[in-house]
Amino acid sequence: MRNAVKQSWITFKSIFTGMGVTIRHFFGPTVTLQYPDERMELPKGARARLFVNIDDCIGCNLCARACPVNCIDIETVAATQDVDLGKTSTGNPKRFWLTRFNIDMAKCMYCDLCVHPCPTNCIYMVPEYEYSEYDRSNLVYHFSNLEPDMVAEVKEKAELEAEQKKRDREEMMRKKAEEKAKKEMEEKKKAEEKSEATSDDKPANDKQGEE
Amino acid sequence: MMEVISKDTGKREMVINMGPQHPSTHGVLRLELVLDGEVIKEAEPNIGYLHRCFEKYAELMDDYAKVIPYTDRMDYVSAINQEHGYVIALERMLELEVPERVEYIRVIMAELQRIASHLLGIGAFGLDLGAFTPFLYCFTEREKILDIFERATGARLLYNYFAVAGLMRDVHPEFKTETSDFVKTFRPKIKELNDLLSYNSIFIKRTANIGVLPEKVAFNYGASGPVLRGSGVKWDLRKNDPYSIYDRFDFEIPVGSGELGTLGDCWDRYIVRVREMEQSLRIIEQALDGMPDEGDVMAAIPKRIRPKEGEIYTRTETPRGELGYYIISDKSASAFRVKARAPSFVHLSMLPAISKGSLIADMVAIVGSIDIVLGEVDR
Ligand code: SF4
Ligand code: SF4
Repeated sequence: MRNAVKQSWITFKSIFTGMGVTIRHFFGPTVTLQYPDERMELPKGARARLFVNIDDCIGCNLCARACPVNCIDIETVAATQDVDLGKTSTGNPKRFWLTRFNIDMAKCMYCDLCVHPCPTNCIYMVPEYEYSEYDRSNLVYHFSNLEPDMVAEVKEKAELEAEQKKRDREEMMRKKAEEKAKKEMEEKKKAEEKSEATSDDKPANDKQGEE
Repeated sequence: MMEVISKDTGKREMVINMGPQHPSTHGVLRLELVLDGEVIKEAEPNIGYLHRCFEKYAELMDDYAKVIPYTDRMDYVSAINQEHGYVIALERMLELEVPERVEYIRVIMAELQRIASHLLGIGAFGLDLGAFTPFLYCFTEREKILDIFERATGARLLYNYFAVAGLMRDVHPEFKTETSDFVKTFRPKIKELNDLLSYNSIFIKRTANIGVLPEKVAFNYGASGPVLRGSGVKWDLRKNDPYSIYDRFDFEIPVGSGELGTLGDCWDRYIVRVREMEQSLRIIEQALDGMPDEGDVMAAIPKRIRPKEGEIYTRTETPRGELGYYIISDKSASAFRVKARAPSFVHLSMLPAISKGSLIADMVAIVGSIDIVLGEVDR
């Protein structure tokens, strides 16, 4: 009997201790925010959405290679010699047209791994979190600012130049081969002469050979 | 079609499914229970609903560093601790020296994460047993920790913050003051929690003498962490096999003692977590005092991670127990084999042993008290 009374007293007391805590909290400050009306300020470095400053991108593909889930899709076309794409704000020369730079934010896991390798710091996270979409495809962000006809144009130009270059290279190879043959002939001749010539000629000859 | 229910029962028994979408199973756990009236005759956990091939991914990635975000996703409640084990394994393989400042920040982060994880475990445990209020108060405190994390790492849950021999970014300038403020305000909250939940008679009635895990059974199953300590075994890898710089700190290992019931019951496991939070606060305070203010946290990160041929097993103490990574390197850019020894998985396997003979209502308490995260069980 006494035990039962004691037990009841303990239970009673523990419940009221708990009640005391809740009452203290009741009169304490609120911790919740009434979301669409109030918003929490995200801190500066929050990782919420990727952004690419495409003007600064040099198309080096490092970010795409660092991504564990392959959600960055980059296509580049080498710029032809007649155009100068300028430099990025960090001073790196730009050599590629970025014909495609898509990031699938639906796949992205905000790991920040793509941000660190970028040489021009042009891919980074922005504290922007209200970007849900009804259609999944809308979450694929297109960062390339080239128009489709422009893309076709630069591709064509690049192809032409590539072909030209290939031809040039072949031409050059042929010339080189000819020159080489000529030089070898000359060298042979010189070697024959050298046996009679003084030792002063030797270094000069070597240099020529290197060139 | 596959048989969904595999149990064959006699006349008196009934099979019911608990989960996988049951509100009081932590995540997608499915339990097949054979009941005799209200008494559990047999319990069998069915897992795999959250399997994401962590180990296979870890072997397929073309870079060791790319696996770190995947480790976060194993036990998403204590992501920092998961990363910690993995980067330590790689650092030992590469024989890298970790800068002092990095080590201190890591320890602070890991202990903060431990508190956050225990708060969730405790809160959800109370919630399972019908105590709604402590859950909200625990979450209020947990939010504060997540705020600190967010300012430091940029993310709230899955941080990808630790890099091999470094950190992904430096902490914000107010990190120290913010954290020590938190430590100060959090101490009284533990007492509040004790008043509200730990020593509440109803809560004690629901947890004491329930789901008793004797020391021997715990050893046989390979239990670790608070589950093992709840059974009265003083075993903590931070003390028994120190990693990082844990040997520099002064803290105690709380163990269960069967104060209010039998040794190794649900209440013991619960109270170990509460007391561990206090110890974590002690570690954080000491680490904040010792943390150097200067130092580049990214300087020592290697460009290429190519460990020598060989294998390694490292274990760390996560809020749930011993998390081990077994990595075999074949000198290529990714591991030949990665195996994660997840404490939740081990603890879940004990469930049939400790729940036999208890009431079905207590099953919820038992599952809550071993504090599993299904993300880690299934990986
Ligand atoms: S944040 Fe991570 S997942 Fe997202 S694009 Fe960058 S590397 Fe890929
Ligand atoms: S790493 Fe930077 S510069 Fe290179 S492709 Fe990506 S965004 Fe562009």
